[in-house]
Amino acid sequence: MSAVGKLLDRRAQLRQCLKALGASGQLGYGIPEKSLAAGLAREPDYIGADMGSIDPGPYYLGSGELATAPATTRADLARLLRAARKLDVPLLIGTAGSAGASPHLEKTLAMVRDVAREEGLHFRLASIRADMPRQLVKQAVRSGRVTPIDAMSALSEADVDAADHLVGQMGTEAFCRALRAEADVVIAGRACDTGIFAAVPALLGCPIGPAMHMAKIVECASLCCVPGGRDPILATLEGDSFVLDSMNPERRATPMSVAAHSLYEQSDPDRVAEPEGVLLVRSARYEAIDERRTRVSGAEWFPAAAPTIKLEGSVLVGERAVLLCGSCDQRVIARISDILAEVSEVVRGLVCRDEPEDYRLIFRVYGINGVYDWPAPPDPLPREIFILGECIAPTAERASAVVRTTKQYLLHHGFPGRLSTAGNIAFPFTPPELSAGTAYRFNVYHIMQVDELAPLFPVEIEDL
Amino acid sequence: MKLVELARTVRSKNAGPLKLSLDLLFDDEAAYHRALQSPALEPAAMARLYGRPEGTVEILPYPAALAVKIVMDRLVVSGDIGDRDVYGAQQHAPLLDLEL
Repeated sequence: MSAVGKLLDRRAQLRQCLKALGASGQLGYGIPEKSLAAGLAREPDYIGADMGSIDPGPYYLGSGELATAPATTRADLARLLRAARKLDVPLLIGTAGSAGASPHLEKTLAMVRDVAREEGLHFRLASIRADMPRQLVKQAVRSGRVTPIDAMSALSEADVDAADHLVGQMGTEAFCRALRAEADVVIAGRACDTGIFAAVPALLGCPIGPAMHMAKIVECASLCCVPGGRDPILATLEGDSFVLDSMNPERRATPMSVAAHSLYEQSDPDRVAEPEGVLLVRSARYEAIDERRTRVSGAEWFPAAAPTIKLEGSVLVGERAVLLCGSCDQRVIARISDILAEVSEVVRGLVCRDEPEDYRLIFRVYGINGVYDWPAPPDPLPREIFILGECIAPTAERASAVVRTTKQYLLHHGFPGRLSTAGNIAFPFTPPELSAGTAYRFNVYHIMQVDELAPLFPVEIEDL
Repeated sequence: MKLVELARTVRSKNAGPLKLSLDLLFDDEAAYHRALQSPALEPAAMARLYGRPEGTVEILPYPAALAVKIVMDRLVVSGDIGDRDVYGAQQHAPLLDLEL
């Protein structure tokens, strides 16, 4: 019998007490060993892990690369696969491979198959694609069913075609379909964090409001605790409420720390929008059970009249090269803004001659405005500055050429009051200019209204 | 009094690639109310501090967590050319010197 079949057989009992282990908020960076072992010793009814996010920026979605190192990612996957198979409980992983488009999903599935083969694990594997069919999205654009999120511009059909990858966030529905196909292990492409953890409760017929609220919290592992951290967390769903218990004894889930977690990375702390509805947490109650466990209840779930999907797309903008250098000459530091503008002008003349500029050259001066775009330089000026030069050009060779010329002319640029005529800047090593790969930007971040969710997130089954 | 003398946590992070969310967390009701009543935490004052047009900064009190959330658009979409802080995790710096 499948792992989920065993849960369904015990559904009456599990509706009263269902244990979910949130193993990782970002699978692939390593899972703290002791707290994972503590979580498994509690014999959870299912294990979930989130594997990605939009936070790391447009590169991963655009390029199809993982943000996490392959060896660490494989090791994390192997530990969860071993654990889930040993306990014979479902394992659900969302946003495979950092961004959840097909290359990320394929790379993750290859690791899963490899681990299964090597360790002699046998199970039913479900994978769920999240790549959006371009024609369907363009049709939705034409019929006015796509709206921008925040300050994004209206989506054009050209944007849809241009995106290197275009994904939609699947919800609980897709995970439920995979479980109904008796999958023991579900590896999903781009997914809402909640889907990972709300699917099993939904399938068992648990109240959806508390289940969704629980899912939203445990997908970040022990981040809802004080001090917050990456240790696995155990949530016990007891019908209308759930209890949070970090698997690291030093992390305490207090009413205040759990309530504060609703704020994290949310512009509206009261409202969590999902494909199938909206979770309102304003009515939630947080009660301490003891010093390090909190019971949560009262969040309300409102099903949507029509399902919606959050779309994410990333498009190539060029090839990037960077220059790394610094200065501790007060005369250079005082004039650095002018120096960089003058050097940029000189470089343009040298690398473009009479042609139009085909690149972007940008400087961030750490010590002045590297991290935050301050309205004025500090007074007094810093003793040292670090200069990060960045060029984005149509080819890697072009970007590198611009940066190399910039390096040399910045080193020897003359300015009024200059004393250090042998060089304005220091290089920490050579070469100080590096190719930094392809640059991308988010060109799709929109909401699409759809008639049906299921056809957009196809489930594929394979028996390993 | 400075905000940092009252707040337990002053943090910033993206809320999606286009929004910046700044969270102020307080230890007790007194500190929370004291901060919330300050003119320095009014939307217009916060817009000036961050160099944004008036009416583009939201201040959201969240009593359940004794917290105040400040929300504004990012100046550059996360990871676009010229971005300085892809995660938006270091945009709280102006708040560290804020007098209430």
